[in-house]
Amino acid sequence: MSDRIFGVVGLLLAIGYVFAALAIEESFLSDAVGPKAFPLLLAAVLGISSLVIVLRPDAEPDWPSLGRLVEIAAAVVVMMLYAQMLPVAGFVLATAFAAGYLAWRLGSGLIEAVLTGIGTSVGIYVIFHLVLGLSLAKGPWGF
Amino acid sequence: MKFVATRGALAAALLSLSTFGASAQECIAPANPGGGWDFTCRQVGKTMQDLGLIDSTMQVVNLAGGGGGVAFAEVVNKRGDDNDLIVAASTATATRLAQGAYPGNSMDQVRWLATIGADYGVIAVAADSEVTDLTGLLDQIKNDPTSVSIAGGSAVGGWDHLKVLIAANAYGIDDVRSVKYIAFDGGGEAVTQLLAGSVQAFTGDISEAKGFVDSGDIRVLAVLSPERLPGEFAAFPTAREQGVDAIGANWRGFYAPGGMSDEAYNEWVSKIADLYASDAWKETMAANGLAPLDLQGDAFQEFVTNSVAQIQSISKEIGIIK
Amino acid sequence: MDLLSNLGDGFAIALTWQNLLLALLGCFLGTVMGALPGLGPSNGVAILIPLAFTLGLGATPSLILLTSVYYGAMYGGRISSILLNIPGDEPAMMTCLDGHPMAKKGLAGEALSLSGIASFVGAFFATWGLILLAPQLVKIALLFGPAEYFALFALAFMTLGGVSSTNQAKSAFAAALGLGLATIGVDTQTGVPRFTFGEVHLYDGLDFLVAIVGLFALSEVFIFLENRHGGNADGSKLKIGKLYPPMSMIKQCIPTMLRTSFLGFLAGVLPGAGASLGSFISYSMEKRLVDKEGTFGTGDPRGVAAPEAGNNAAAGGALVPMLALGVPGSGTTAVLLAVLLSLNITPGPLLFTQNPDVVWGLIAALFIANFMLLAMNIPMVGLFTRVLMVPSRILMPIVAMVSFVGIYGISGSSFDLMVMIGFGVMGWVLRKFDVPLVPIILGTLLGNAMENNLRRAVTIDNGDWWTLVDTPLALSLWAIAIIGFVLPLIIGRKVKAGMHAKRDDEGSISD
Repeated sequence: MSDRIFGVVGLLLAIGYVFAALAIEESFLSDAVGPKAFPLLLAAVLGISSLVIVLRPDAEPDWPSLGRLVEIAAAVVVMMLYAQMLPVAGFVLATAFAAGYLAWRLGSGLIEAVLTGIGTSVGIYVIFHLVLGLSLAKGPWGF
Repeated sequence: MKFVATRGALAAALLSLSTFGASAQECIAPANPGGGWDFTCRQVGKTMQDLGLIDSTMQVVNLAGGGGGVAFAEVVNKRGDDNDLIVAASTATATRLAQGAYPGNSMDQVRWLATIGADYGVIAVAADSEVTDLTGLLDQIKNDPTSVSIAGGSAVGGWDHLKVLIAANAYGIDDVRSVKYIAFDGGGEAVTQLLAGSVQAFTGDISEAKGFVDSGDIRVLAVLSPERLPGEFAAFPTAREQGVDAIGANWRGFYAPGGMSDEAYNEWVSKIADLYASDAWKETMAANGLAPLDLQGDAFQEFVTNSVAQIQSISKEIGIIK
Repeated sequence: MDLLSNLGDGFAIALTWQNLLLALLGCFLGTVMGALPGLGPSNGVAILIPLAFTLGLGATPSLILLTSVYYGAMYGGRISSILLNIPGDEPAMMTCLDGHPMAKKGLAGEALSLSGIASFVGAFFATWGLILLAPQLVKIALLFGPAEYFALFALAFMTLGGVSSTNQAKSAFAAALGLGLATIGVDTQTGVPRFTFGEVHLYDGLDFLVAIVGLFALSEVFIFLENRHGGNADGSKLKIGKLYPPMSMIKQCIPTMLRTSFLGFLAGVLPGAGASLGSFISYSMEKRLVDKEGTFGTGDPRGVAAPEAGNNAAAGGALVPMLALGVPGSGTTAVLLAVLLSLNITPGPLLFTQNPDVVWGLIAALFIANFMLLAMNIPMVGLFTRVLMVPSRILMPIVAMVSFVGIYGISGSSFDLMVMIGFGVMGWVLRKFDVPLVPIILGTLLGNAMENNLRRAVTIDNGDWWTLVDTPLALSLWAIAIIGFVLPLIIGRKVKAGMHAKRDDEGSISD
C-alpha cells in the first residue's frame, strides 16, 4: 500500500512539474529545443516510473512507530532552528546545543551529551575555522 | 566563499603563514574560470597586489549562471553594502541589462567603478576550414543559414551572439534570427567544439582566442575593431576593411554594490585608475589584445548608461527585442 | 628517449625538500578533506589556494601542493563511505555500495586497505596515461561533440538499473528526480529562470554538495534516531577484524582494477564527464561483467576496488583536457585551471612546449603524491577503523554537525542548510521505500550538461532530433546503453528472484 501511495505522490509530482515547465517564460530568442522540452521529457519518465510503482508495488516497508516518527520530526525541527540561529547565536553556541541535543536523543546521558556537544563544537571550530580558514557564523561574540 | 583570518594556537605552522586581513578584498567573476570575466578579476587582482595597491591577495570567486545575472542578483540582494567587493563586468553585462535579461534588476542598482580596457570581438574558423575571409562566411550564411553553426561562450542573445548578428546585419542579412548560434559554457568550450568540428565558426573575444591562434589551431577571419590592432594582432584583418561595417568592442571593467560608501567607492576608483596608468598594466593589455579604454567614476557611469541605451536600440533594430 | 629525459627533468624539479614537504602537506590535508562529508576535492583545492598564494609559492610548487590535495581528496573520500556509509565526496558515493556492507561484515580494515590499493593503481595508470597519451587523448576528447556527450550521459543513466536497487522503476524514478532537480535555476542556454518560484537563492540551481550531504549524511542520522531502540543502532557492534586483506582477495581484484582504471581514465579525459561518472561507469560495467552470483552490493571486494580505481584514474584523466585544451573536465580541474591562469600560465595546446617545467614538474609531483598517499594510507587503516569504536550516539552528532559546517562554511547561507535538511528528510523517506539515492546524485551532477548538450546537438542540426544518432561513436554509445538497459529487463526476473532471496538472508545485516 505504501508503494502505491508513493507512486501516486510521484505522479502528482510529475503533473506539477509539467505545469511548472509549461509556465516557463520563453526568452525572445531561443534555441531550437527551448527551455521546456527537457523538463517535459523528464516529467514523462517520472510519470511512467511512478505509474509502474503504483501498478507493481514492492513489499511494505518497515514503518517506525509513531513515537519514533515524532523523534525524527523533533530532530528536523532542531536542525532547522540550528540553521536559522547560526547567524544569530554564532557558530560555537548553536553547534554545541544542536550536537548536544542529538547526542542526548541518540542515547547519551545528560553529562555525556553536554560534553559531546561542547567537544564537537569546539573541535569543528578548531579544524574548520582555525586550521582550514573557512568562515563560520560569527554571532555576537565573534565565534 | 570568504576566507577569514586564522587565529589561535593550533597549527601554528600554518597560521604564521597566513597574512589575511579580516576583510580581504573580493572580486566576483560571474562566470566559470577561463573566460573573460575571470581573466579580468584575476589579472587585475594580481597586478594590483604586485603594484602594492592592495595588501592581500584578491579573493576571486566564480559565481557563474544566468550570463552574470546570478552574480548581479547576489550583489544587489545579499551584498548590497559590502565595501570590499567588486564584480567584473563587460559589454555582456550591459547587454543583458539592456535586454532586461536580469529579471527585476537594472543598471542603477549598482555603482559602476571603472574600465580597464576593451576587448574587440573576433570571428574565427578552424585552421583547416575552407572559409578564408569574413565575406566568405557571411555569404555562406546568406545562402543557407542552416549550414553554419556559430559557437560562442555567452547565452543566446548575449554579447557573443550579438556580435555575429551585428556583422550579419551590416552585411545585409535581413532575418538575423536565422543565424544559427550555439551557446557554450564559456569561450574555452566553444573553441574546443570548433576544433572538434561540431560547429563551423567561433565568436568571442581576442583574449579567449589568442592561445589557439598562437598554436595554429584556429584562423581569425575578422576583428571587429575600427582599425587594425597594434603589435602581434596587426596580422588580423578588420571586418571594416572587408567591407563589413561592424564594430564590436567589449569593454571590461567593474561594478560595486549599490550601497558601497562614497569613501570606499572613491578609493576603488582611484586604485583602478592607478592600475590603468601603470606600465605593468600596459604590458598586460598588449599581451592580451586589450585596446585602450580609460573611463572612471562618473564618466564610466555615464558611458554604461549610453552603452545600455545603444544596445537596446541595436537589439530593437535587429529585431530581437520589442 | 625524449620522454624519459623530460620526466627526469620533472623529478629534478619536484624532488626538492620544499616541494616534497608541500606534497606531504597536500596529501594529508587532501585526505582529511576528502573524508569529511561536505568538503570534496574542489572545495579542498579552493580552500587551499590562499595558502599557496600567501606562501608566495611559484607556479610549480603551488601546483604540486594543490594537485596533492586533489589526489589526496580522491583517496580520502572512500574512508567515510566505507566506515559510515556516507560518501566523503561525490565520486566516493559508489564506494558506499559495497564498502559499507564489507565494514558491516567485519571487514572494514580489509575494505580500506583494498580501496587504498585500488586508488593507487587507478592513479598510477592514469598518470602514465597522462604522460604517454595526452596529445593523442586530446583527439578523443575532440571526437565528442554535443550529440556524443548526450549519448554518453544517457548511457550512464540507462545502465543504472539494478546498480543499487532491484526495482528498475524506482531507479528510473530517482534518476528523473535528480535530473529534474538539476533543471532548477537559470537556464544556461537562454537565461530564463526555471522552477525558481522567484527565489533568488535558486537562480544558481541546487548545489549537488547540498544534495549529497543531505541525502546521505542527514538521512543516516535520522535512521539512527529511528532505530535507537531497535538494538542495531549501536555502531560499536561492528567488528573491526583484520586490517589487511589476504593476497587472494587482492589477486581476485587485480583484473577489476586494471579494467576500471582504463574506463575511469577515459571518462576523466572527457570534459564534463569527470570522476563521478568515472567511478559510476566503472562500478556498473564491472557489475555487468563479473557479478555472476549477484554479490555486488552485499560487500563484494571487487565492488570496492572498481569505483576506487575508477575515480582515481578519472582524476588523472581529467588533467588531460585541462592542460592540453584549457577546458576543465570537472569542478576540481576548473579550480586548478583558475590557479594556473592567475599564475599567468595559459593552459592550452601550447602549454607542453611553452611551460615544460610546469607540466613535467606537475607530472612528477603526481607520481610522488601517489606513492606518498599509498604509504600514508595503508598504515593509517588501523587508525581510521578506530572511528567504528566510537559509539554512534557520539559519532552521529559529529557527522551531522560536520555536514552542516561543510556546507555553511562554503556558501555562508542558511538557505542552503534548510535545503539540506529537506534533502535529509527526503533521503530518509526514499530509503524507506528502497529508492536508490545514487541516481539522484548522478542526476543533479550531470543534469545540466546533459540537457545543454542535447539542446546544442539538436540546434546545430536545425531541430533535427535524428542528429543524436548520426555518428558511429554516438551510435555505439547508444547501442551499449540500450543493451545495458534491456538485458537486465529480459533476464531480470531470474536475477531479481535470486537477489531477493539473498536480500532476505542478509536482511539482518543490511538495513
